[in-house]
Amino acid sequence: MITFRMNGLEVSAEEGWTILEAAKFYGLEIPTLCYYEGLTPYGGCRLCVVEIGEGARAKLVSSCTYIVEPGLVVRTDTKRVIAARKMMIELMVSVAPGSKVLQDLASQFGVTKVRFEPRNEECILCGRCVRMCAEQMDGKAIGFQQRGYKKKISTPFDLKSAECRLCGGCIYVCPVCQLRCQGPKAETVLCNGCLAMDPTCLDHYDDLQCWMYDAGRCGTCVREKTGSRP
Amino acid sequence: MAEKKKLRIQDLAKIREKTKALTTIRESEGRAKITVHMGTCGIAAGAREVMEALLAEVRKNKVQDVIVATSGCAGLCNREPMATVEFKGQPPVKYVDLTPQKIRKIFAEHVLCGRLVPEYALAVGSETVY
Amino acid sequence: MKQYRAHLLVCAGTGCVSCGAFKIKEALEQEIHKRKLQDEILVIATGCNGFCERGPILMVHPDGVFYQQLKLEDIPFLVEEHLIKGRPVKKLMYIPPAEKDPIPRMKDIEFFKHQRLIVLRNRGRIDPEKVEEYIAFDGYEALAKALSEMKPEEIVKEITESGLRGRGGAGFPTGRKWAAARAAKGAPKYIICNGDEGDPGAFMDRSVLEADPHSVLEGMIIGAKAVGAEKGFVYIRHEYPLALKRMAIAIDQARDYGLLGEDILGTGFNFDLEIVAGAGAFVSGEETALIASIEGRIGMPRQRPPFPAQKGLWGKPTVINNVETWATVPNIILRGAKWFSALGTKTSKGTKIFSLVGKINNTGLVEVPMGITLRDIVYGIGGGIPNGQDFKAVQIGGPSGGCLPPKLLDLPVDYESLTEAGAMMGSGGMIVMDDKTCMVDIAKYFLNFLRDESCGKCVSCREGTQRMWEIVKKITEGKGTEEDLALLEEVARTCKDASLCALGQTAANPVLTTLRYFRHEYESHVLDKRCPAGVCKALIRYVVLAEKCTGCQSCKNACPKQCIKGTLKDVHLIDQTNCIKCGACQEACRFEAIEAQREEAITIV
Repeated sequence: MITFRMNGLEVSAEEGWTILEAAKFYGLEIPTLCYYEGLTPYGGCRLCVVEIGEGARAKLVSSCTYIVEPGLVVRTDTKRVIAARKMMIELMVSVAPGSKVLQDLASQFGVTKVRFEPRNEECILCGRCVRMCAEQMDGKAIGFQQRGYKKKISTPFDLKSAECRLCGGCIYVCPVCQLRCQGPKAETVLCNGCLAMDPTCLDHYDDLQCWMYDAGRCGTCVREKTGSRP
Repeated sequence: MAEKKKLRIQDLAKIREKTKALTTIRESEGRAKITVHMGTCGIAAGAREVMEALLAEVRKNKVQDVIVATSGCAGLCNREPMATVEFKGQPPVKYVDLTPQKIRKIFAEHVLCGRLVPEYALAVGSETVY
Repeated sequence: MKQYRAHLLVCAGTGCVSCGAFKIKEALEQEIHKRKLQDEILVIATGCNGFCERGPILMVHPDGVFYQQLKLEDIPFLVEEHLIKGRPVKKLMYIPPAEKDPIPRMKDIEFFKHQRLIVLRNRGRIDPEKVEEYIAFDGYEALAKALSEMKPEEIVKEITESGLRGRGGAGFPTGRKWAAARAAKGAPKYIICNGDEGDPGAFMDRSVLEADPHSVLEGMIIGAKAVGAEKGFVYIRHEYPLALKRMAIAIDQARDYGLLGEDILGTGFNFDLEIVAGAGAFVSGEETALIASIEGRIGMPRQRPPFPAQKGLWGKPTVINNVETWATVPNIILRGAKWFSALGTKTSKGTKIFSLVGKINNTGLVEVPMGITLRDIVYGIGGGIPNGQDFKAVQIGGPSGGCLPPKLLDLPVDYESLTEAGAMMGSGGMIVMDDKTCMVDIAKYFLNFLRDESCGKCVSCREGTQRMWEIVKKITEGKGTEEDLALLEEVARTCKDASLCALGQTAANPVLTTLRYFRHEYESHVLDKRCPAGVCKALIRYVVLAEKCTGCQSCKNACPKQCIKGTLKDVHLIDQTNCIKCGACQEACRFEAIEAQREEAITIV
């Protein structure tokens, strides 16, 4: 067992666990995007960053890839962490505003403005599809091509793949493939629809029946919040 | 240096010995410096043959710590060919009216044994550039 | 060994080669044969001398005379005058700018005088393709000592006590890295040389590999003994063909002589090396990306820990160090840790090679003790700024570094002081800028480089560099707002904080340092819509000054768009609607009558 500190608490984890796994075990919520259970962690979206260390040597690392060490000091919601998370979301929404997953993240973390020119692309290079195809479906039909701002995911030399078995695994895990809700501000880059909604279930049951992730799933909370537009 | 046998530690020192001539020239750190004056007057009087004879002596005796150089006319054109022999820290010695035979004697006596050859010398001392 | 009376050392580093050095060597050999001097005079090609501004370069020994900027037609005269008549040729010697008298000897020239050559000790002095010449100057002595007289722990201790820090950029204590690898569990262990020098403007690693490849080999074999490795790799970027060639020759010769392979120098120690060529990515210089590249995987960095010293190449303990670091090792073993740590400052020991480029009189490579001031490098060794311009900034550390202003000229150069100032030692690239350089344009240049070279894994780096570039580009086009400046800083800070590897973590440095020291220039672009340096095309307009124009028509003839109107002897006028701001008119004018003015300036003609 490895003992370390997380948000001021002394915690234990099995050897080989990542900070994210330990946080989940203790019920601490850390947002993720490129992380998908069953696939090897990638550490590319930088949403799951946490601050480790203290003082001048404190730095941000992706919790999905960082293996716990004895004596580690982890804080999951510092000023630096929150600023980084919001900026990552803002950057990603500006690339793919059509993604429900990204729009939900924006609402959840209070990203209310996108200050970059939207690019309306259909991929944020999280790599879930690449890893799904290689690791779970044993296809290895797609991969990363190029680097930097030209990076993209495709088949070798963009040719029609002989390995692809059309299993649909890549589509299944893709966070951009789920299209955004048509919230009140559907025409803009940022949807923020669920921020303007009022959960009617609170009136009926006095318990929230869903979390923001599935806002509107039950179909009851479509009423606009009165007088409190963000 | 074409032998390609595997070296042992002591071979490194041996190579350094053999290549001493190289380091002497490139570091300009010889025990002595012999300058053969080769202005137009010198060459006309036979300085090239003197130079060749001198180099032959250097090679024959496998002397590695001496620098052989040329320079322009020394000014005393009617006494050419001339050569100046300088030892580190000592005043230079100018030799005049040289021939290949004379330079061979100067090399054997002065450069190898450190004994001036007064009958060939013009003067001792003057500007030291070494 | 055949004795010669003179050695002619032709500089054949890539810089001089591209100026025709090999042709010069051929011409020299031909002339010497013609004059029947081939038994008296030896001609060889050496590695880079460092004074690249002045190539092709020739050193004549034993005189120590330095010839520069040679042309083929100079050779017969040079041979006749200097080598036969003994009269060194003044007109081919170096004359300092703004002076009249030439300086014949290399050791008297300012550029060389103040340097302290340790890593570059053999530059311009030996034929890099002959291992005997390396041995002649105490080569492989350190290896002999390390293999026969020292235990591995003693070697590690010596390197640790010397205070040597990695010269690739991060400055991690080399001894500590070696100790960690030595203690790590796992076999076999590996040694890697990082020769993927990618910083624009840096060429010291190339120089060392071309001029003195054996110094790197010797260092690596010593490192292998210290750590317990039997296999190593030299990773050289494929854009350095001469370095690849010379290293391959050096490795072959070392193997032939029993300096590599089995039973090295008869001591029973085994170690061998392989060359791996890079494939064109800057990010492959990052240690974990380089290791991935050698393994045949895509060159993308991974998280550390575990560090390569614990789990590196193929998961085994690996020591990966920069070319310069390896080349320093034999010197420390031979002359001792105390000697090395006597040079430099308290935290940064020894010397560092800087590549001094840009708006500077003496462009080239300089090796100086740590702690020397920027002023001494720029003005003392560098000879100051050409064309009477003023010093504006110096970019240190490549795209990961920062731009420092004139007020920091007296900063002593060492790892800590540079990091505190917001820059970075990096590989040692030093780009000098004058007041005709626009700092916003410089930030745009480095961001463009970084957005292209980012591996693309992290959103913070990939999108961050792209968006920062877009904002800075917008500013240089005169469309920037104050909100853009605030956003730029915010993206920069996040990119620095959240990225996985050093490329991303330092990608924001050019932006952050220029904002810190040259904010007025950004504000000028944003608020005044003006580029003070006259560089950003959208913010300047070329205008004919009526009082100076003589109507000579030179500008009109030079204009590629035919947008200058005017008859002979009349004041000319530039039609702004068609002007593409190429500046050809300004260059053609001999009366300084064309000025690049800010957009809003009203022209009176």
